[in-house]
Amino acid sequence: MTVVEAPSTTEHAAAEDLASAALSLARRFAAGATMWCIAPQWPAHGRHVAVEFVHPVIVGKRALPAVHIEGLDTIAAVRLLARPGDVLLAVSAVDDPATAELLSRAEAWGMTRIWLGAGARPTSGRAEHVVWLDGADPTLASRSGDMVLLYHLLWELTHVVFEHRGLLEPEAECTDAVCVTCSDEGRVAEVRSVHSDGLVEVMVNGTYETIDASLVDRVEPGDLLLVHAGVALTTLEVLPQ
Amino acid sequence: MSDEPTGFLYPFIESEERDSTSLLVELTGSARGKMADSRTLRVAMLERWHDDLVRAGTAMADRFRRGGRLLAFGNGGSATDAEGTVDLFRRPPNGRPLAALSLVDDRAVLTALANDVGFELVFSRQIIAHAGVDDIAVGFSTSGDSVNVLRGLEEAARRGLLTLGLCGYAGGAMAASTSIAHCLVVASESVHRIQEAQNALTLRLWEMVQQDLDAVMTA
Repeated sequence: MTVVEAPSTTEHAAAEDLASAALSLARRFAAGATMWCIAPQWPAHGRHVAVEFVHPVIVGKRALPAVHIEGLDTIAAVRLLARPGDVLLAVSAVDDPATAELLSRAEAWGMTRIWLGAGARPTSGRAEHVVWLDGADPTLASRSGDMVLLYHLLWELTHVVFEHRGLLEPEAECTDAVCVTCSDEGRVAEVRSVHSDGLVEVMVNGTYETIDASLVDRVEPGDLLLVHAGVALTTLEVLPQ
Repeated sequence: MSDEPTGFLYPFIESEERDSTSLLVELTGSARGKMADSRTLRVAMLERWHDDLVRAGTAMADRFRRGGRLLAFGNGGSATDAEGTVDLFRRPPNGRPLAALSLVDDRAVLTALANDVGFELVFSRQIIAHAGVDDIAVGFSTSGDSVNVLRGLEEAARRGLLTLGLCGYAGGAMAASTSIAHCLVVASESVHRIQEAQNALTLRLWEMVQQDLDAVMTA
């Protein structure tokens, strides 16, 4: 029987990742964010995580805005509903295409991304917080109690952070000259409309910008671009390889 | 590295706390402790209920062999566990897909029944509508006291279904009910740990059913 084998080293790492995800999540909620939950392979988990936050099991804990989104128009729905600064919480295996696409686009929409899963681990950079049970069979982990444990703990830790009011302030602006986040690396943009003169209107980090896309062939609304200094450098695959 | 608490290094007033380092250490430690608690409880419950899981798995496999279906229900997080259980039986990672239906999925049915006859009857009325004598009813309630889950299981027992209940704490009213053939109680005071252990128990049930169907098919 393999149901409850202890993947202890991966659990140790997951605990640390949960802690930093909970700190970010509490800060986002404190700033007015809504958490949009998706679990295209396992919608029951998407519903479960949303109800944890909206209707806490412990009396007296505050109700927090979390919404599960599912169905054929999941991507269009989150694009319409989410505001910059909101949180995308995904529960899935690494190879779920709908999750992969939403995570890619959510970066352009200015969302903080938390990805909970099991099995083969995603490559780095696809979400701000990846909390993963490495090696576990994703479908079995999704029903063994391991997956539900991850989001139960995310909920519990988020409420612990709320007890530390001084830490709910956003982190200080980065002024470090070599900071990777603030350096002029390319940013992900989603095309909203295309003009005839090579200019396109895009959304970058949750705000509209007009950029020059003349270096890129055949740009269409919905395309993802890598943008640097107001110029589109290349088209990005919606589904990372 | 010492495991000493580091709180004494930060004698700030709470609202002036600015450095998250010690909080992250605290959160990580708390998560690790609860992960260990969860795993220990799941292992203990799989052992505690081993014989019942074998008997229930055999009885469920018999029902499936006769053309029966699994009907699952619960409230809130337990509703999603019912839905997840149905998903596991119907769309398994390996083995046979088996007929299973969640009684929490249809919002028209749920709201019609809740509005017209009361929330305590939302599952029993669906059992009346759907249940066949070879079917299996599985009710989830962490407290063991959810009235609509109890009513659903009572109606199912009256109609000859195989009845299973998953509950927590000391089992509540479900543990005392004569309508539940197999009542698996997760002895814990934490709703979260109870749900995690109920996941492990239902996954084991699914394994038992698959093994039983395999054994008979290949015998």
